[in-house]
Amino acid sequence: MTDDAWLAALTGELRRHQVGPDLTAHVVAETAAHLRDSGEPAVRAFGTPREYAAAVADSVGGPDPSRAARPVGPVRLEVRGVTKRYRRRPVLTGVDLTVRAGQVAAVVGANGAGKSTFLRVCAGLTRPDRGTVRVYGRLGYCPQDGGTSEFLFPDEHFALVGAGRGLSRPDARREGRAYAAALDWTPPRSTQARHLSGGTRQKLNLVLARLGAPDVLLLDEPYQGFDRGTYLDFWHEVWRWRDAGTAIVVVTHLLNQLDRVDQVLDLTRAEAAA
Amino acid sequence: MDADRRAQWLRGVLDLCVLGLLDSGESYGYELAQALGDAGLGQIRGGTLYPVLLRLQRAGLVTTRWHGGDTGPARKYYRLSAAGRAALTQASADWSAFTGSVRTTLRQEER
Repeated sequence: MTDDAWLAALTGELRRHQVGPDLTAHVVAETAAHLRDSGEPAVRAFGTPREYAAAVADSVGGPDPSRAARPVGPVRLEVRGVTKRYRRRPVLTGVDLTVRAGQVAAVVGANGAGKSTFLRVCAGLTRPDRGTVRVYGRLGYCPQDGGTSEFLFPDEHFALVGAGRGLSRPDARREGRAYAAALDWTPPRSTQARHLSGGTRQKLNLVLARLGAPDVLLLDEPYQGFDRGTYLDFWHEVWRWRDAGTAIVVVTHLLNQLDRVDQVLDLTRAEAAA
Repeated sequence: MDADRRAQWLRGVLDLCVLGLLDSGESYGYELAQALGDAGLGQIRGGTLYPVLLRLQRAGLVTTRWHGGDTGPARKYYRLSAAGRAALTQASADWSAFTGSVRTTLRQEER
């Protein structure tokens, strides 16, 4: 087998082991670089594609030791038996979720499975037909879109939302700019939100949700329009907030190997089972 | 040295050896494999080394970045994180204690 054929077979095997496309691309590129550097035949350096794919899947799929060692805190969000119908169509049926301080929960499901509705219920913006939501502490919510005000500058957003969370104008501005910097964004001083690109507006949205360091953070696919680098920055920030003790709920349909979340709430399954 | 036994021993400490090598600066897989060989630890197969690197990355003990060489292919560089440095310090102490115990025990066997 030539190296190219071997690498192609590896790509297929990684997919079979349900390794995500990003990690697969990284592993294959790294393997190819190694083969070029060493001049060794692939089979001698890495074994069969199947063996190596299994080893890769095993090393990313096992329990994360850093997470196992991390203590979790008190319950911050408790959702019990939430049911919601739109007209006659059930959107959420008896959904439960408990998230503790220092945990990340991912909400997944097909389009229309009720992910955003679930988050709006958690945020207190939509009333469920049945069930309860308890939030222990302060809440930050990043909607999928529409969280910004067209005619305000970024700094004015920081001041406005910061005021609602007890931050002085300079503190809100400082904090907002610090969070923006972590997403590789320097908010322009005199650009209204309506003139920001979609991805940049999402960054603003995300920064606003985080202002004042809420105890519970609800994020509804907050990375839409992000380029790959910002997407990684975003997850890096999520891990940092989690490690600082924030309880985080992220709506996503992109669960790949990067998403080392503590629990996954699959609304597709809940709906199908109902 | 018996190559099988060396490989068996190495299996338990390969991740620590990698952390040790990265303590002196960032590096990529093939370079690490060569450094391990140069250190007398035998030839490390890519199929053994890269899964260890992935595990270290996943545990947050190393950070990574892709860097394209001007002439060669893009390589994935690994760098020790603060957590990795702390783990290395702890593991070095543990390893010294462990090998000390082994050494003492072996000497008793000789008598």
